[in-house]
Amino acid sequence: MIRPLLVRREKPLPGGQPLAFVLGSSVALFLGAALLWVAGDDPTEVYQRMLSASFGDLEALSATINRAIPLALAGLAVAIAATMGLWNIGAEGQILFGATAAAWVAQIGNAWSGPLLIVAMLVGATFGGALWALGPAIAKAQIGVNEIITTLMLNEIAVRFVRYLINGPWKDPEGFGFVQAPALPDQSELPGLFERAHIGALVAVAVLAVVGLMVSRSSWGYELRIAGSSGATATYAGISLKRKTLAVLVLSGAVAGLAGGIELTGNATRLTETVSNGYGFAGIIVAALALMRPSGVALVAVLFGAVQVGGQSIKAIGVSDAVSTVLQALILFGVIAAGVLVAYRLELAKAKVHSL
Amino acid sequence: MIVGLAFPETALIGLLFAAIQFGAMIYLASLGELIAERAGVLNLGVEGMMAMGAVGGFVFAIETGSPWLGLLAASIVGALVAMIHGLFAVVLGANQVVSGLALTIFGVGLANFWGTDYEGLRPDVQFVDVDLGPLSDIAWIGRIFFQQSPLAYLALALGCVAWFGLNRTRGGLALRAAGESAATADTAGHSVVGLRLFAVAIGGALAALGGAYLSLSISPGWTVGVVAGRGWIAVALVIFGAWKVRRVALGAFLFGLAMALPSRTESFDLPWHPILWSMLPYLLTIAVMIAGALILRNRPADAPAALGVPFRREER
Repeated sequence: MIRPLLVRREKPLPGGQPLAFVLGSSVALFLGAALLWVAGDDPTEVYQRMLSASFGDLEALSATINRAIPLALAGLAVAIAATMGLWNIGAEGQILFGATAAAWVAQIGNAWSGPLLIVAMLVGATFGGALWALGPAIAKAQIGVNEIITTLMLNEIAVRFVRYLINGPWKDPEGFGFVQAPALPDQSELPGLFERAHIGALVAVAVLAVVGLMVSRSSWGYELRIAGSSGATATYAGISLKRKTLAVLVLSGAVAGLAGGIELTGNATRLTETVSNGYGFAGIIVAALALMRPSGVALVAVLFGAVQVGGQSIKAIGVSDAVSTVLQALILFGVIAAGVLVAYRLELAKAKVHSL
Repeated sequence: MIVGLAFPETALIGLLFAAIQFGAMIYLASLGELIAERAGVLNLGVEGMMAMGAVGGFVFAIETGSPWLGLLAASIVGALVAMIHGLFAVVLGANQVVSGLALTIFGVGLANFWGTDYEGLRPDVQFVDVDLGPLSDIAWIGRIFFQQSPLAYLALALGCVAWFGLNRTRGGLALRAAGESAATADTAGHSVVGLRLFAVAIGGALAALGGAYLSLSISPGWTVGVVAGRGWIAVALVIFGAWKVRRVALGAFLFGLAMALPSRTESFDLPWHPILWSMLPYLLTIAVMIAGALILRNRPADAPAALGVPFRREER
């Protein structure tokens, strides 16, 4: 009997992850085209429209950058936690709660000047996100409660909390019966850069750089990576796993919360329960594609931002924007598969192989 | 005991009926997740598989004119979609969290794409609640237990099959071994990959049945977002029920109650806004996890030991 066997290459193919990325994305685009073709749409027309809507001109580029901001920050949040082997699946809820905190600050400070209010809102959002991650962080650090499930549950709780606020205490008195939060004060809008892009992009890049360096260059980050690779080694070296777990998850939540604040001040006119818009979940895919490296996160986030902006644009020609959702997942699957091909080779082994 | 309460009887009967209805729906999906997790595979794709089951079941029911054929198709679609997770997480050893979440994104996206032309169609095919004659006519009990959708009884039956299969058969033992200690199962001559793929496929089929319960019985039809986060409740329920078929069944009734309550808070004169009540299943799960961690500190955990750990024979 001949059966296929994956054997690890002594030397991985040159190019590594970038190669896998290009290969996998191509396969994903091909599969997406097949899906469109089966559904009776013209793949070339759809892809062309997506490309021009996301990179075609400066305005398109600015839309892509705006989308990339929350994706990059959510990706960074996931990547930080992953350095220590922890999973923050709750960026979605932390983004939402961050935005909620920012909206709360805006209610208090609606008479403040623009710059002051914006800074206060972003700081509030950062604290909000950190607060939303604090519970899972304490539970994990103190009694070892699985953070995957607690952060996941808190996503659903955050959505319902915002829904409650909008339907209850925060219902807009001037909403003419519409169930919505009050509009944000005008001066809370982030200053623009060019076209639709706003300075949130600069904030995101700065945070990516600072937090990225913290993880990769500082002694704190070094201890973090030791703790991630071996808890026993870390304990032996005098690193407190509890404190590291707490710090990492709270920092992760803070970064996600900031994304919520930027989203609210940059792109929204009022708080809604859809402000997080799936960015938290997509951020997990972004981080995975970037191999949990902050530097890679930015690049992948721009690509995913483009796919999402492109997805919005094809609704105009009667194609469901769900195509872009499918494409994002396909890219991940394609890149994982290509990554396996890069690191392994396929051998057809005769009879039963027992390798001990 | 019941006489003298401030709310009408019909409201209580309605609540208990809905608790069993929602409970049975979520039980199907949880049962699937339980089986996959007992084999060592965490599948966070439940939400996506339920969406695919909901749209697949509805589309095939409309096209064939039979809700049963729709149900069958849904389970096949669910198993097929789950095999994506099987390929990546089990065969290729990719991270289960990442692969499962990608499956959710993929499944929800594909379901929305597939359902575009079926959105808002008034379905004339759907499951009708059973009528068991005299049984269904019994006061209270008849309405609550014997006038449910056929799918509720299917859920109960599948629960019994799953309990027996997992706990009383050699195959079930092998499957649990793959989840507790993959290397041991391998040494005993079982194919860990095969067992896990099987469990993931069954899990997908059951999650899809839960989705089809929604689109063919509870709220017949297809609309974007019909699953509405219930896949996460199913994941939570497995933990709530400590990975045990019977405890998950009990939890399903409780979670069903929690899902049925928010739209009925007024009838029962409950304090707080209904939306706050809708947080209950998630809060319960967190509470149970924390209580579990505090109480079971010195006891072995309920979770399968090899849950989430990929198995590669050459790297064991």
